[in-house]
Formats: sequence, structure tokens, C-alpha cells
Amino acid sequence: MTRNVKISIKNLYKIFGPTPEVALEYAREGMHKAEMLEKHNHVLGLRDINVDVHEGEITVIMGLSGSGKSTLIRHLNRLIDPTAGEVQVEGDDIMNYTEEQLRQLRRERMSMVFQKFALLPHKTVLENAGMAKDIRGYTTDDFETDAKKWLARVGLEGNENQYPHQLSGGMQQRVGIARALVSDAQIMLMDEAFSALDPLIRSDMQDLLLELQEELKKTIVFITHDLDEALKLADHLVILKEGEVVQQGDPQDILLHPGDPYIVDFISDINRARVLRVRSTMSKPDPEETEYAGDISEKDNLEEVLRKSGGDMTLRFRVMRGDDQVGTLHMKDLAQALVPTDASENRGKTAA
Amino acid sequence: MATYDPLFETLGLKEWCSEGKSSGPMSMADLLNKTSGGKTEDTSLWDTPFPSMDALNESCAAFPQSRELTKGLEQGFLAIKDSLSLVLDPLTQPLSWFLDGALYAMLNTPWWIVIPVLLAVVFVVTKSWKLVAFVGASIVAMAFIDHYDYAMQTLAIIMVCAFLCVLFGVPIGIAMARSDGLQRIVTPILDMLQTLPPFVYLIPLIFLFSVTESKLYGIAIILYAIVPVIRLTNLGIRLVDKDVIEAADAFGMTPRQKLYKVQIPLALPNIMAGVNQTIMMSLAMVVIASLVSAPGLGVLVLRGIRNLELGVGLVSGLGIVILAVILDRVTKASLARIDVSKEH
Repeated sequence: MTRNVKISIKNLYKIFGPTPEVALEYAREGMHKAEMLEKHNHVLGLRDINVDVHEGEITVIMGLSGSGKSTLIRHLNRLIDPTAGEVQVEGDDIMNYTEEQLRQLRRERMSMVFQKFALLPHKTVLENAGMAKDIRGYTTDDFETDAKKWLARVGLEGNENQYPHQLSGGMQQRVGIARALVSDAQIMLMDEAFSALDPLIRSDMQDLLLELQEELKKTIVFITHDLDEALKLADHLVILKEGEVVQQGDPQDILLHPGDPYIVDFISDINRARVLRVRSTMSKPDPEETEYAGDISEKDNLEEVLRKSGGDMTLRFRVMRGDDQVGTLHMKDLAQALVPTDASENRGKTAA
Repeated sequence: MATYDPLFETLGLKEWCSEGKSSGPMSMADLLNKTSGGKTEDTSLWDTPFPSMDALNESCAAFPQSRELTKGLEQGFLAIKDSLSLVLDPLTQPLSWFLDGALYAMLNTPWWIVIPVLLAVVFVVTKSWKLVAFVGASIVAMAFIDHYDYAMQTLAIIMVCAFLCVLFGVPIGIAMARSDGLQRIVTPILDMLQTLPPFVYLIPLIFLFSVTESKLYGIAIILYAIVPVIRLTNLGIRLVDKDVIEAADAFGMTPRQKLYKVQIPLALPNIMAGVNQTIMMSLAMVVIASLVSAPGLGVLVLRGIRNLELGVGLVSGLGIVILAVILDRVTKASLARIDVSKEH
């Protein structure tokens, strides 16, 4: 699988305050957020962020409020300008863009979905969905078929002529997603897109997003404060804390080998059986082994395997990718994987 | 000897002071002083006057009195008056044309055309038969007691002035919303326009323009009534949801697109509230402007006051109330209509 880097963030710093350039030097020397605020009255938004966003993947940036995640995503289309550092989109440093180039980038290559939906209240659902096209100068007739297609795809067939205030929150966010899709941009930025929705609808929307992603292979940057959501969606997970990247990588990997006590704390409450997949707990296939309790897919989560085993801890499963065996799963390993790991203990180990 | 004599002595200005004395005429107080033969004692600390211009003048004749200030202002204004009216006269001439045209049209179109047209307008903007009936009944009632002409004159003036207020006020409000600097400059001017007693507007205008010209009262009304539409346009645009503005930026809107596609439509309820206020304030001013020959119901009010004709004053006053209620209800109803279709 080729993993082209679509967006690359390099040594990004953002400091809020009257003289960010001065405070930048302190930040580079390693001054912490609290100290910076107290001594210099500057807020350290982001410190030395380096993240690569790969094409066709969902990159989830997770952190609690105040961790700088919303600030970070706004650097990708320069709604916020950094104090120092680079943001490269398809190899171009967008910091060097003129206003016109930047507008072109926002219109044609990036779309955005917002936490509070941010729909135009005086426009119909159809006109809202076509907003990106309307901005580019198309008329409603030009984008009507397109907009209707995407609205239907997100489950809003027949709502085209309603106004946003007539829709529920979940439906409004569907319009938000349709709006991003109608723009045909390859990159989608989603800023806490589902955080304002209630849990059941949120889960529906996550499924919808995964389904759409399966089909469209967009490059998605998704911001969330919800770990379950992050683990469900992420191909690549970036964990932010106080403006710094604490750990990033494959979410399974982070779960099994947390690199920081902060992350251990974070992941201690989640349902590991549902999040961990067979592929990250299996061992190499033993050619001499022939007795298996059954076949499982490498993508199955451990909960499914547990159900299949009926609770028998002595079993062994054959792990398949398509028709080939790629590994063996001992129920004993599975049981062990369900116990939360300490940060220090397993640091440095790599996944199987 | 006056209280502040020592002050000028210590400053060594005694000579300069007496120079002034020789050239100026003697004041009444000085004369009295002289006749009483220098019996004045030093004033006690309790009675020490504030060192105002007049008090200082007593000690030092060369020091200007405060009446010089108002006089100076007046003379300064008179000095620039001619060149000022040379510039302002042609600039404001269209206002006279508009007002005269509107008054002429209103009065020379037969009542059986004007009343139905007005009612049709009311229906188009409010879509409410109840309101049309109310407006119709009010106008017919006023016409029946022979106040039709006066009411229509007042209405014509208000329509012209309110229209011009919106024409200038909305762009000024938009400019203010976009620039904090401009807002800092314009806000005190608006405060002043709003709190200055309305009569005070009329004084410099009378100097600048001839009282027979209709633009004289037109300007006074516009200056007074333009304030709310500017304020509320500014406020409305500043209050537009930041998230929606951010979305507009994120999808690459140009500033112009943002203004026309997002800011103005979302600020419209506030702007319309400003228009409503502006219309009400023009009505208030049009009565005062009758002092400087504005025709309409105000003239009758003025007659009522001048001649103590109680009935005339009361009836025309009530006519103004009815007009105010009509204008207020109609603009509020159209405002509500905008709000419903564009509710959040």
C-alpha cells in the first residue's frame, strides 16, 4: 500500500499574545505552558508539532479541551496563521501562498465540517449543500443534481427545500457533511464534527463517515475529544496534550503500548475488547500447528473472538486475510491484551 | 481688589493686564466698585470664586470673558458660513428636490389613488389584512376630520428622509462593523447627534440655508434619525454568528461574498429594527422641524401652542400618534416576516 503524504506539518509553533516572536524563543527553549502564561502572559497554543497526514486515511487528532487541537486543524487551511513552522499540502508550503492561492486552496482542495454545523440559516438545505459551488460562481441549477445526490447519500432525501432550523442536530450535521462532499475537495477537515450530537446519533454518523470513506477514500483530518470515537475512526491517531504531541501512530499500537502515563490514564476506561483487533494481538503462524478451533479474520475485534470461543481460554484460532493464513491467536494472549498496560513496562516493544 | 489679583502679580503680568484695561470699556461691576470707594474687603476663603474666565477677568482686564467664547464661536461660524454653504448648497440641493417632489406628488394625486396605493404597500410588506384594515380606518378617519393633507405631508417627508437615512446609514454601519478604528471615531459622533437637543440642530442650519428651502428641515431630520440605523447595522453585522463567518472563510468566500451572502442577510433583522427606529425618530423630528417651515401635522401642533388653541393641538397631536402607530406596526410586521423565514 502506498502511503502518499498529503499534508505535512513541520515544526509548527503557535503562541497567542502581544509579542509571540519573543515568547517563541522561550518555547523553543522548552518553557512550559503554565510558566509561559505566568511569566510572559503568552498562551502557548502549539509547540513543535510534526504530523504527516496520509492520502486516503483518516487522521484523528485527539486531546482534551485546551490541548490545541482546534487550533491545529485551523492551521491546515490557514484560518489561523502559525507563529513558526510549515504546513505543506501536496508538497507546497501554504505559508507562501498569496491570498488568491489560499482562496483557491480553500475552495477546491479542502472542505471543512464544523462542530456547530455553521450552516447559513437563511438558505435552504439544498443551497447550503451547494455553498462551496455557489462560492465558485456556479448557479443553483448547475449544482442541483450534485447536491441532491450527496444529500441523498447522507440520508436527507426529500429535505432539500427545508431550512436548517427545521432539522434536528444530526440532520443539520448531515447537511454539513454533504456540503463538504459537494465541494469535491480531496481533503476534509472535521472539527469536532460529531461532538455536539447525542451518543446514538453520533455513533450513526461515525458509521456513515466510515461508509463514505470506504467508497470515497478522501483524506480526512478529524478532531475529537472522545477516545472511543478516535479509536473507531482513526487510521492514524495523534494525541495532543497542552499543545504538544504526546504520541502518534496506529491506534492499536498506542493502545497496547502507551508511551506516556497521560495516555495510560486516558485509555484505562475504554472497552479494549471492542477496540483491539485480532491483527494486533496475534502471533506468527506456526507451520506445525494444525489444530484450530476455527478461522477468524484479522480485522475482527477481540469481542467477536471471545463470543466465538464461548469463554474457553485454551483455544487457538487461525487468523486469515482473505484466503491466506497470516497468524495464530491464542486465547491466552487475547486475555492478556485485555489487561491495561503500563507505560514504562512496554515502552519500545513493537506490535506483532 | 478682586480675588485673583495676587496671582497675576506673582506671574508678573500686571502690565499686560492693565494694557487690556485701557482698551476695554469699563464693566458695571468696576463702576460700582469705584463708586463704593474701594470699600471691598478681601473675600473670605469660604466665598472664593472658581477661577473661571469671568472671575479672572475681574482681576485682569486683558483676560477674555466667557461670553467671548460663544461670541467667538458665532463669529467663526459666520466667517466660514459663506464658503461652507457654497459647498453644501449644491450637495444638498437634491434633498430639496426630493422633498418638494414627494410633497407635490402626495398632495396632487387624488385621495382615491393615494389611499389604495398606501394600503396595497401595507399589504405587500406585511401580508396582514388586519393591519390593512387598521391603516385604512386610521387614514379615512383623519381624512374625515380634514387632516388628510397635513398627514400626507408629514408622511411624505418621513418617507423621503427615512429612505435617505437607510441609503446612507446602512453603508456607514457596514463600514463601521468592518473597522474598529472607524467605530471608535463614529460612535461619539452618533452619541452626540442622539443626545443634542433637537432644537440645537436647527440653529446652524438656519444660518447656512434659507428658511424657505425644504432641505433645511430635511437635513435636521436626517441628522437626528440616521443614528439608530447606523448603530443597529453595525451591531447586527458584528453579532453575526462567528461560526458561520468561519465557515464562509473556510470555504473560500471573498470579503464581498461574505458581506452579501452571509453578513447582510444574517444582520437583516437588526437592520430592520434600526429602520423602524429611524422612522419613529423622523416622526419625532418632523414635528420640531415645523419651527423651520416643515409642513404637516407639526404646523398644527405649533399653532396650538402659539395661539393656545387646545383643540387644534390635541387633534393634531393625536394624528401624530396614529401615524406613529401605523408606521411602527407596519415596519414591525414586515420585520417579523423577515425573522420567521430566516430564523436560527
